[in-house]
Amino acid sequence: MVNIKLFGALRLKCGISHMEVYSSSVKDACRLLSKATGFPEKDFKNCMFMINGQNARYSSKLEDGDELVFLTPSGGG
Amino acid sequence: MATSYGGYMGKVADIDLTTGTIREYPWSDEERRLFLGGKTMAAKIIGDHLAEIRGPLDETNLLVISTGPFTGTGAPSSSRFNVSAISPLTGILTSSNCGGNFGYYLKKAGYDALVIHGRSEKPVWLEIHNDQFTFHDGQSLWGMKTGHTQEALDEALAEQSGGKRRKNGKIVIGPAGENLVKYASIVSNERLAGRGGVGAVMGSKNLKAVTVSGNHTVPVHDKEKMDKLNRSWFKYLRSHPLTGDQLPRLGTAGLISSMQMKGQLSTKNYTYGQFDRFEKVNGETLAEEHNIVNKGCLTCPIKCARTVQVDGKAVKGPELETLGLLGGGILNDSMELILRWNYELDELGMDTITAANTLAWAMEANEKGLWNNGLAFGDTADISRVWEDTAYRRGIGDELAEGSRALSEKYGGKEFAIHSKGMELAAYEPRRAVGLGLGYAISNRGGCHLNGGYLVILEGLGLNVNQQTPHGKPDVTIIFQDLMEGTSSCGQCVFTTYGFFPPPLIHHPHAWYTKAFNAIVPVAGPVLRLLTMFPQVVCFHLPMIFNQSKALKYATGMKVTFGSFLKAGKRGYTLERLINTRLGISRKDDSLPKRLTDVPQVEGDEKTKVPLESMKDVYYRGRGWDKDGIPTEKTLKKLNLDHLAVSQMPAGSCMQEVNQHG
Repeated sequence: MVNIKLFGALRLKCGISHMEVYSSSVKDACRLLSKATGFPEKDFKNCMFMINGQNARYSSKLEDGDELVFLTPSGGG
Repeated sequence: MATSYGGYMGKVADIDLTTGTIREYPWSDEERRLFLGGKTMAAKIIGDHLAEIRGPLDETNLLVISTGPFTGTGAPSSSRFNVSAISPLTGILTSSNCGGNFGYYLKKAGYDALVIHGRSEKPVWLEIHNDQFTFHDGQSLWGMKTGHTQEALDEALAEQSGGKRRKNGKIVIGPAGENLVKYASIVSNERLAGRGGVGAVMGSKNLKAVTVSGNHTVPVHDKEKMDKLNRSWFKYLRSHPLTGDQLPRLGTAGLISSMQMKGQLSTKNYTYGQFDRFEKVNGETLAEEHNIVNKGCLTCPIKCARTVQVDGKAVKGPELETLGLLGGGILNDSMELILRWNYELDELGMDTITAANTLAWAMEANEKGLWNNGLAFGDTADISRVWEDTAYRRGIGDELAEGSRALSEKYGGKEFAIHSKGMELAAYEPRRAVGLGLGYAISNRGGCHLNGGYLVILEGLGLNVNQQTPHGKPDVTIIFQDLMEGTSSCGQCVFTTYGFFPPPLIHHPHAWYTKAFNAIVPVAGPVLRLLTMFPQVVCFHLPMIFNQSKALKYATGMKVTFGSFLKAGKRGYTLERLINTRLGISRKDDSLPKRLTDVPQVEGDEKTKVPLESMKDVYYRGRGWDKDGIPTEKTLKKLNLDHLAVSQMPAGSCMQEVNQHG
């Protein structure tokens, strides 16, 4: 089971803050999120990813117990 | 003094509060061309009078309130105004920028700027309406908080207009400004010129408020082209992922979660970079559970302000800084308390950043046995009383009113007094964004993220440039500082400069071109340095991503290109530095507390601290300053500032006064 957390503008748009899924990769997690929310997969693909606090890629693998974070790129003051 | 340029009203008012006389301040077209407006214009005016200023709270200090050539032209996010003075907090030049509508109405009243000096014998407020200046007795307003003061002013203006509400802009101070709290702010509607203690300068002059109104219109050199550009500019900003999506949806508070994930969220007075309960006090929680409606300044498509409820009243919500520093900064996880404190600090007229950092320092000083003050991290029961005591200078509040630098000089604990040049840092923890660490240290007004170049936007927030490498960062810092300096001097919000990042870079963080950008920045220093040294080589406008240069041309009729705009920003930044050097600033002051430069954030990882000195060397070279951080004569000549060379600008004595009297 992977614990997914969403932050940023995409979280507000799709209305999901977290989700627990069985997933083996970030790519797979994007597909599952798209299915669960009805939002296009590319919206999730275009986030920054972090696995257990480390920067990750779309191709990164996931293991049971991982925390996968989706961040929308941000800027402000 | 009339002007041949569009974008300006052509008049600057010189207001002597001691005698109650109003004159026109001489300001020529040559000065408009070189110094544009806003903070750069203010720096020139203060620099010209530096030797006469005996101290920040002395009647000789100048309070310069200035707009820019974009204000009132319909350019996006351009209703802002700038307040500059010698700061009672830092002892050097400060500039504080404010949104709202005051800038717009100042121009409607017929003026580009106000230069206020002297001291009224009794409290007054000043009404400026269509070139007419009227001083009113301010004693009935003195002691009022900022909200009530503004309501009373609206009533007074309506009374004069036969009961009809008069559209106006206003600036006021609260009890903190009256009681000379070193970080008192100036309040305008719900927006603040928050930093550097400009409210205390206004209070020291016995000036409670200024209202501006009128029906002048701002002339625009080429209105047709300007309007067309503005339409496409609005459209671009609304479609940009930062200014059209993230900031409108989440406000600046939306950064908290990204900062947390990247180890950049100041926690327990910058001891750590992550707060374990951040989800209770982040932008998402603010948006989902507390935000009633988004608000924005006049002519702003971004609308980054939030509205929340405190005691059933709709009030302005907290910005990122307030949320971070009064959340993780003091180990508080109550959003409701932060909303309340933010409102209370605005009502008292105090800068939330310095107030929060000073409080955090005091908590740590108590924890370490340096100062027995009863304050403790996570103990939030009585903080509202602390704000009141500070504003009214009662008990420990009287000491907190001096800021963290003064307190650390008295009690010890300098290594964890989180300031640079006396001004406390924003909520970004720079050990995991070392380029921002450089920015904080060299920023002209002290520990400011925006004046410091805001490199954190590259270092993990908007893009993914290596957070820990110092390479390339000094040169990018210079370019960002100069772009923001020029933009701000035009009277425009610096958030519009985020448009400089083409949307695909932000939209697609995993695309090859974004990865390439992230990889190139650290090795691009030498190329970028050519641009910083010879900006005039870019003798054209950048399409869409940076409209400011074209807008300046259309608004004013000046001959402007991207390169000359960048040069104007550089001129402003260098001028501010030059003034500060005459107040005693040099390399030794471009510093950070030891906690950030000597102690790794991640135990055992030496890269997680700010390698400041090596970055300063590169930065000074790029700026054309000597090894001690002083602009060289050659640099001043290139920027048309040679008449202000060190040898010709007399030294001021404000730093000495601040250091002697706290």
